[in-house]
Amino acid sequence: MTALSGTIPVFASLEGAPIALKAWILGMLENMGMPEPFLMLVSIQLSILGFFSVFLLLFVLASWFERKILARIQNRRGPNRVGPAGLLQPIADGIKMLTKEDIVPVAADKVLHACAPVLIILPAFLAMAILPYGKNMTPVELEVGILLFFAVSTATELAVFMAGWASLNKFSMLGAMRAVAQILSYELPLILAATSVVMITGSLSLTAMVEAQGGYLLGILPNWHVFTPWGFAAFAMFFISALAESNRTPFDLPEGESELVAGHMTEYSGFKYALFFISEYLGLYVVCGFAVALFLGGWQAPLPFLTFIPSWIWFFAKILCLVFVAMWIRGTFPRVRVDHLMNFAWKFVIPLGVMVLVSAAVWHLAGRGPLGWILSLPPLLIPYWLMARAYGRNYDAGGRVYRFAE
Amino acid sequence: MNATAYILLGILLIASGTGAAVLRNPVHSGLSAVVAFVTLGMLHMALGAQFIGFVQLLVYIGAVAILAVFAILLTRPEASHLPCLRPLRRAVAGAVTAGLVLAALLIAIFRSPSLNREPGPVAEAPVAEIGELLMTTHLLPLQTIGVLLTAALIGAVLFASTNHS
Repeated sequence: MTALSGTIPVFASLEGAPIALKAWILGMLENMGMPEPFLMLVSIQLSILGFFSVFLLLFVLASWFERKILARIQNRRGPNRVGPAGLLQPIADGIKMLTKEDIVPVAADKVLHACAPVLIILPAFLAMAILPYGKNMTPVELEVGILLFFAVSTATELAVFMAGWASLNKFSMLGAMRAVAQILSYELPLILAATSVVMITGSLSLTAMVEAQGGYLLGILPNWHVFTPWGFAAFAMFFISALAESNRTPFDLPEGESELVAGHMTEYSGFKYALFFISEYLGLYVVCGFAVALFLGGWQAPLPFLTFIPSWIWFFAKILCLVFVAMWIRGTFPRVRVDHLMNFAWKFVIPLGVMVLVSAAVWHLAGRGPLGWILSLPPLLIPYWLMARAYGRNYDAGGRVYRFAE
Repeated sequence: MNATAYILLGILLIASGTGAAVLRNPVHSGLSAVVAFVTLGMLHMALGAQFIGFVQLLVYIGAVAILAVFAILLTRPEASHLPCLRPLRRAVAGAVTAGLVLAALLIAIFRSPSLNREPGPVAEAPVAEIGELLMTTHLLPLQTIGVLLTAALIGAVLFASTNHS
């Protein structure tokens, strides 16, 4: 804690507030004479309830926020009838989803059809357990944290496949095949980008990664991984792959409505459909949380004199910034074509991902300083330039044509 | 390791493994095999080998199971006209194969020196140790596997590109 936190007691007490609240509840139960195993159970449940409720609240806010931002980008007003500025719209949507009829196709595989929406929401919740939300605020301290994220996120592919196959609908199946191929292809760059951070930190634990990004260069510049040559490239790769993994625009073609109705979600209605929807947003939050922890300094403050603001506020603020960027991209870019998507992953991002590893190794061996900057840039820039030249040789976009309204 | 957890996971493992073998629908048996992989990973984790457990999940579900399910999907079982043995011969052939595999496994298990060894103390930092060992003692096998995988990758690209032209 810096000296400033002493002068602003509100923030100083907020820093440990979630932990203090938990300790207070547990202490109260202990005074009431509860047995030890029960207290342990309550302690676990309180942590789960904490991030469960925070993320579901964030989901509710995001669904409103996304519609407002898209409306702003498209010169509309967005939701504005339910509650002030449409803020209660998500609640109205939730009631609608809950009261809708749950339709299961006659020919569908009933069990798998019902399992898929439950399974698809699982990875996001499991991965939430290992995010470092603040100083000493990691719910489950795992030595192999980052591996858990990649291991459980594979369940998404299976759930999408189950949903598509069990629906017995050609649009569902085609959408699921596309989605699985896409998630599989973009899992590789995601892992490669994260591996570079593992190489530099020398640990698979997220807490260790965040702590390695502490401190400030020259007393002002944060020591985040994104401010290094390899870190910047890896962050860009990670974010692009994260958008593809969570089926966000411009990579939302598994559910391209003009050709596939709604992809693997075509035959779902009512709350099962809502579960797919929720899992998409929660997945986005979680993967942005990992991006923040890996590259953007986790709960570290961006400037030394801002450390008086509690660490967990910084963490959530950074997540929300990334989620905002994802919404901004959704409002700006058109959907990519399926062959472009695959070519981009396999011929461009994955080779660059290997070069990011080389660059990170050079950065480490060259002393992580000015020399590292000079030596670790060429392994990134030369392949980038060569690939861009090679792929762009036969491509002529034509001149830019402006058409104005008369 | 907790005995209750071991028994529960064991029951789940046997049930899902049996399901993978006996379920009629190939996609169902594929997914049942996935449950078996997950349970196996959980057993590793319950034994304290977190790294092995998660790698098991990552490799077997993320890659092997997805590929298997895709392969099942792309081959249509009801439309295949593969030569098939008669039911009685099929049962005998299955029993003989299963018996041979079981015998091989049992011999391997009972001849393994780890049966007579006392369980050693759990290492403090297994992941770091695994990495250390891979980079020093087992460097040659690691590099060999790397070369093998690179060859497989190049081979796959070659196959794909010659089919196109």
